[in-house]
Amino acid sequence: MNSDNIGVTGSVERNKTAKSKKGFKAFIYSQKIAPYVFISPFIFVFVIFFIYPAISTVTMSFQTVLPGKVEFIGFENYKNLFNPTFFKAIKNSIMYTALTLALLIPIPMILACFLNSKNMVGRNFFRSTLFIPALTSAVVATTIFRLIFGELPGSLMNQIIGAFGLSPIKWLKMQHTSFAALLFLACWRWTGVNILYFLSGLQNIPQEVNESAELDGATTMQKFMHITMPMLRPITIYVLTISIYGGMAMFTESYMLFGSNKSPNDMALTIIGYLYRQGWEQNNIGFGSAIGIVLLLFALVLNFTQLKVFGLFKKED
Amino acid sequence: MSKKQKEIKEKMKVTPQTILLLVLFIGIAAVVLFPIFCITLASFKPSKELLRFGLNVKIEPEVMSLGNYIFLFTGKNNYFMWFKNSLVITAIQASLTLIVSALVGYGFAMYDFKYKNQLFMCVILIMMIPMEIIMLPLYKQMIGMKMIDSIWGIILPFIASPAPIFFFRQYLSGIPKELMEAGRIDGCSEYGIFGRIILPLMAPSFAAMGIFVGMNSWNGFLWPLIVLRSQNKFTLPIGLATLITPYGNNYDVLIAGSVMAILPILIVFLFFQQYFIEGMTAGGVKG
Amino acid sequence: MKKITAKLMSILLAGAMLTGCGGGNAAAPSTGGNGAEKAPAAETKTEASADAATMELWTFQEIHTTFYEELANIWNEQNPDRQIKLNYTVLPYDDMHSKLLIALQSGVGAPDIADIEIGKFANYLKGEPQLLPLNDVVDPELNNIVKSRVEIYGKEGKYYGICFHIGASVTYYNKEILDKAGVKAEDIVTWEDFRATGKKVLDKAGVPMATIETSDPWSFWPMLASQGGDLLKPDGSPNVDSPEFIKAIAFVQEMIKEGTMVVAPGAFHHAEEYYGFMNNGGAASVSMPLWYMGRFTEYMPDLNQKMVIAPNPIWEKGQPRSVGLGGTGTAVTNQAKDAQLAKDFLAFAKLSKEANIKIWTSLGFDPIRTEVWDAPEIEAPNKFTDYFLNSPFDVLGQIKNEIPAIVTGENLPKVMDALKTSTLFRAFEDLEDPAKLVADEQSKLN
Repeated sequence: MNSDNIGVTGSVERNKTAKSKKGFKAFIYSQKIAPYVFISPFIFVFVIFFIYPAISTVTMSFQTVLPGKVEFIGFENYKNLFNPTFFKAIKNSIMYTALTLALLIPIPMILACFLNSKNMVGRNFFRSTLFIPALTSAVVATTIFRLIFGELPGSLMNQIIGAFGLSPIKWLKMQHTSFAALLFLACWRWTGVNILYFLSGLQNIPQEVNESAELDGATTMQKFMHITMPMLRPITIYVLTISIYGGMAMFTESYMLFGSNKSPNDMALTIIGYLYRQGWEQNNIGFGSAIGIVLLLFALVLNFTQLKVFGLFKKED
Repeated sequence: MSKKQKEIKEKMKVTPQTILLLVLFIGIAAVVLFPIFCITLASFKPSKELLRFGLNVKIEPEVMSLGNYIFLFTGKNNYFMWFKNSLVITAIQASLTLIVSALVGYGFAMYDFKYKNQLFMCVILIMMIPMEIIMLPLYKQMIGMKMIDSIWGIILPFIASPAPIFFFRQYLSGIPKELMEAGRIDGCSEYGIFGRIILPLMAPSFAAMGIFVGMNSWNGFLWPLIVLRSQNKFTLPIGLATLITPYGNNYDVLIAGSVMAILPILIVFLFFQQYFIEGMTAGGVKG
Repeated sequence: MKKITAKLMSILLAGAMLTGCGGGNAAAPSTGGNGAEKAPAAETKTEASADAATMELWTFQEIHTTFYEELANIWNEQNPDRQIKLNYTVLPYDDMHSKLLIALQSGVGAPDIADIEIGKFANYLKGEPQLLPLNDVVDPELNNIVKSRVEIYGKEGKYYGICFHIGASVTYYNKEILDKAGVKAEDIVTWEDFRATGKKVLDKAGVPMATIETSDPWSFWPMLASQGGDLLKPDGSPNVDSPEFIKAIAFVQEMIKEGTMVVAPGAFHHAEEYYGFMNNGGAASVSMPLWYMGRFTEYMPDLNQKMVIAPNPIWEKGQPRSVGLGGTGTAVTNQAKDAQLAKDFLAFAKLSKEANIKIWTSLGFDPIRTEVWDAPEIEAPNKFTDYFLNSPFDVLGQIKNEIPAIVTGENLPKVMDALKTSTLFRAFEDLEDPAKLVADEQSKLN
């Protein structure tokens, strides 16, 4: 897209004198304009594909949207959000996000450091192994987990806890255990991916820094705290940001684990699950849009706070 | 080979810690691989066995056969058409998204310009918009652009994808800006700096994002499903999901098909992974 | 440059599409004018070479396509001048319904014909229905079919869908277990009989009499229906706090406390866990509609030649012993290229005699056209008659006047959802007090 654009404008300019062509070229090549050229694809995509849908979603959130019957109903959709089911969905989403953040950032970071160390035997093998779950289709992964967390005494999890003398548990029918199953699934699927991010970040740390620290007699722990962690900061911010959104927008895992969008007592209902139920399963797209806007606001507030705290918008020099 | 062995001899020290670490990783790998092992095993058994006895790890040669795979390869199903479509879309989408997002991410990381923060906030904003609700207006938009039922309708709206843009920006913020100045002094243009100096340094990040974008595209479900209309353009995740219905699932094809679906992206992964190692050896440049 | 090529392409495409349509729409009134003389010649020409009108058909069930294909072949034999070619698109269940909503909302991209599940059907009737009324093709056959199977897809006297089956609810008994306990399925008439038998089964065979779902309503619904109750009031509003609900919940709770009934492993009768449980003789019976037969033959191989089909128990003599549950209504959308042809084909595929025989022989559903129930073709052995100890059509014959229709309406998706996610779970897993529970659930629905 980018180069195309230059080409087209360039050909328009062809008739003009060589001097002005040079001027144009200089303009495109100037240090001031170059960044805009670099980010122009994003601006195009944003303007062409997302402005209308974004505005339309906001509009719909103030409407009843049915074929042949589109009406403005003011804040009615937003007022309807004040119900216990939606609050439950918010609570579930926030809890899931918090727990996945607590598990899926520190653990992959440490594992990535181990996998990056030269003393590690078979590190390529382990990297690939930990990544495989991310490749399995969600449909099948969750079918497997549904069977692992089955409630019959013969199911795998019940056999495992049975070995410790515990009696069988109905895993997917209780709040805590079904959340545990969801988290287990999340960790299983995403640990490898997050390791990958941290590994690529670790490649940015010059070997010399570590080596000189070693010469100064720094322990592994000290190196991790004072070299690795700060150097991984940009990547950590990235992982944090996408994890916040990923957590708040979780739906597929819950949908699949319970065979459909119907966990008992809505114990695994998420915000998107509620959006899907209201917007599509019950054809109330106006209300669904209102839920979507609320989710967007939640994710934005959480992320902008986080990014501000970690100083992403600060001018770096 | 010999060089590698030498390296290993030189750098490897067998300490209690390394052994402990190895044990830890073998443990983790066992937990991670277990479900995969289960489906792989199940894919060799008739699906009735799965329902009869649940998920188990018994290797039973008397009931195991290649039946499901033979059915997959020869039976009347669209598996390989889905597979091929997914391969095509993933290849095109991943490469285009990677290139475009790298450019954008670079622009955000290395330059200061007017409205930079505002524009970057737009990137984050797009990342946070739930697909589940924007799909209706986006679909209407696609109708106007005549992109329904075309792979461009799937690819173009996400070609400057926010997550990779953000990742590249973050990754590049670790690279010293002096390199750019050095380039300018050497007479490189702004684009030359990107192409000749920065791009080679981005190899590990390209590897990570190549895997990430490829994986997302390979597993992409909701938007391709909305855009595509012709059955012969369907992708693997859509196809596999059609095997699940409220009136009973087609476990035979589902399980064998899912095991097969892991393969191509695993190959891509193994290929890209090489760059992590190369990236490490190139570490000296960055000092 | 690219844009111009794209535009050219789209104009060319549109042109190609226009000529294509002309061929199919032989019966459509011509636009008149100068072209009138030329047009018929062109039409006959295309009709001779390109023999069929193409129709898009969406379904979420792969095996339905085989059924439609067989029917399309018969149709083409019978109607040489109105040939059709069906283009199938099989989509994932939930997503097919959302995709169809999007296509109908935006006016572009919908198929000619679509299978719509009954639980979702009401969504398509909200506002101005974007489906076509089928009254002109359904009315002539109305006396030959179970009328309620089109009424459930209706709104304001118009029918928008035709069902595959009746979905008559029956009870499947595991005869092996009953024999062990020395009891017979035929002796069970009322729910009290069922419960007493259950105690014997629990004592002698050590397994519960039945399972109940908490995330689907199929086994619970008949207990309401026989009392004349339903999920919706006749006016279409939620009916969860009705006395019928309280009575049925209280009864099931007592059986659960006795151990004669258990919640289905996996919470519904389509869970992998449940199939395994039932297959290995986990419970003596299950109440499900007749379309559930396929689940036995597919997923419970070890119950072959062990299962007996019988009418459901009732509360008091004289109550209906069944109810029509579930279903897939096939509809013609308002984006159909040749609406009349689509409607005629649909009527043929769902209402004709040969179609209804095929519905049994190739899909294993209880057909909606009553005369075929004792047609000789129905008697022929197939995998269902081989599997079950008695013929489903014998049972169907016994209960044919006892299959009331459920009340449908815009509130049905909402109430079904409440039942699947909350009401039944609280009732049978948490064993909450029935009266308080239904009052609370009803208040959430209003």
